[in-house]
Amino acid sequence: MTAQPAPLRGSHFSRILVIALHAFTQLARMKVFYFLAVFAVIMLVSNFFNLPQHEGPESIGVNVLRSIKSSSLGTMHLFSVVLSVVATALLLPKDIEDRTLYTILAKPVPRIDYLAGKLLGVLLLIFVSLALMDLLMTAVLHVRTGIVIDQQVAYAKQQGWPEDSIALLRTEALNHGANWSLQGAVFAVFLRSIIIASLALLISTFSTSTLFTTIISFLIYFIGHFQADALDAFLRGGTAVETILTGLVSLVLPNFQIFNVIDAVIEGQAFPLAALGKLTGLGLFYAVFYTVSSWFIFSEKEF
Amino acid sequence: MDQPTPAVEIRDLVKDFKTSFRRQMLRAVDGVSIRILPGEVYGLIGPNGSGKSTIMKALLGLVAPTSGTCAIFGQDSLKVDSRNDVGFLPENPYFYKHLSGEETLEFYGKLCGLKGKALRERVAELLKLVDLESAGKRRIGGYSKGMLQRIGLAQALIQEPRLVILDEPTAGVDPIGSRQIRDLILKLRERGITVFLCSHLLEQVQEVCDQVGIIFRGKIVKEGRLEDLIAIEDQTEIILRNASPELLSEITGLIGRFPATELVRTGKPRTTLERLFLRETLGKNP
Repeated sequence: MTAQPAPLRGSHFSRILVIALHAFTQLARMKVFYFLAVFAVIMLVSNFFNLPQHEGPESIGVNVLRSIKSSSLGTMHLFSVVLSVVATALLLPKDIEDRTLYTILAKPVPRIDYLAGKLLGVLLLIFVSLALMDLLMTAVLHVRTGIVIDQQVAYAKQQGWPEDSIALLRTEALNHGANWSLQGAVFAVFLRSIIIASLALLISTFSTSTLFTTIISFLIYFIGHFQADALDAFLRGGTAVETILTGLVSLVLPNFQIFNVIDAVIEGQAFPLAALGKLTGLGLFYAVFYTVSSWFIFSEKEF
Repeated sequence: MDQPTPAVEIRDLVKDFKTSFRRQMLRAVDGVSIRILPGEVYGLIGPNGSGKSTIMKALLGLVAPTSGTCAIFGQDSLKVDSRNDVGFLPENPYFYKHLSGEETLEFYGKLCGLKGKALRERVAELLKLVDLESAGKRRIGGYSKGMLQRIGLAQALIQEPRLVILDEPTAGVDPIGSRQIRDLILKLRERGITVFLCSHLLEQVQEVCDQVGIIFRGKIVKEGRLEDLIAIEDQTEIILRNASPELLSEITGLIGRFPATELVRTGKPRTTLERLFLRETLGKNP
């Protein structure tokens, strides 16, 4: 006779949160946040770095702002991609190797809760790191933008520029400062991390080592930059092998080129809300797609 | 009277693994059936590679049976719900080194839905039970092998399970640590908790188990109550304290009057090396 199953103790959400907070603590105690000190140094250096000038004196200040944004967002990009891949690739195989996974799955913990918790923990760490970096970048940019505007207005007045030209100069400087488009760009960096981390999670469910997961994840991230080309090739048609390969790449991989919008923000262009919405939708779609695929593989896995 | 629902019921369990060479199948467990009633301590003994750990993993849903079924208190062990009532200590466990003993127990407790005061009290109670109160705040990374096994046993008990599964609980532990774990198993039995353990340390199994199964090459070759299995039916043991040579001579003479009875052996009973070691190191008779 089969007994009535006892209900699981605790909710899915609470278990996922416990695992996520634990993964966050685990990574934080690996001294990942030391990277923020490196970031602070980069910010300081980029703030005082003098770029060679080929333009008029009115562009000097704007170029410094662009340099700060470029180095900050570049560092955020590097940090988030590396952490998404390495941290995700590390957590699962380590638990299997140390047999801590046995003790967790021997508790009333559904496998999807375990996977989602680990992914959320990595994303939480990236989110906190990006938020801190963003705070520092915004503060530096805010102060520096004020200095640039003062210097440029003084220069323009000295040169006897008309008021409307001075206002235009001020607007251009503000476009390069700490604005909402810049915050959108940081969010886009985070969205890209979500996709990469969930992709690394999928690979780590069938991979046998951290190294394999790391290499394959970086490789797929690299290939993802050619997704648009693959889609074009697929639509144009070709040999059967070409069609299958390009079809597979364009279906399974996200088009990482759409994140080039971050470069446009560095150049001072606005980040339309519609573009941000599209990017968010795409990021979440791939995160859910990869996580559910991970679950299908992981639920059948034997230990 | 109705029989209680068995704590463990394994029926005709078969588990095949694919080997890497030519994808041939290797049968790790071959038609094993085990039934453990609530409150019993069952020891599964067998050499390395005989299928003990695979049986335990199948019971915990960590591997899926090729055929046959496993149930914990009547619930299919492939279902997550069945794990509400079970605690597991794997062989040579390594817990998260960045956590302290207390944090480790809190982590596992939260996974089981415990929180707040109830969790804190349970953690304190278990640290006391496994004699790790003074080491509760220390990082697991600095724990000895015996301490790791004990914190492992504590995490297995965190949600007050009715069944505890122990895979080689004393592997690599020194005699003192080994004795502490044995005492803990006996405490669990006193509390009415069912224990399913596997080991190849036969003496220890003999000390704590009510029921024993012997597994060899994936098959149960002998199973039953320990007392029944190890008793030599046609022999009787009398142990005397302070017996004089005259009394012994008289007893020997008396035996000689019964032709059907044979005196097999006389002499002094010996303690075990483990007991001698514990007496010399701890200064007491265990």
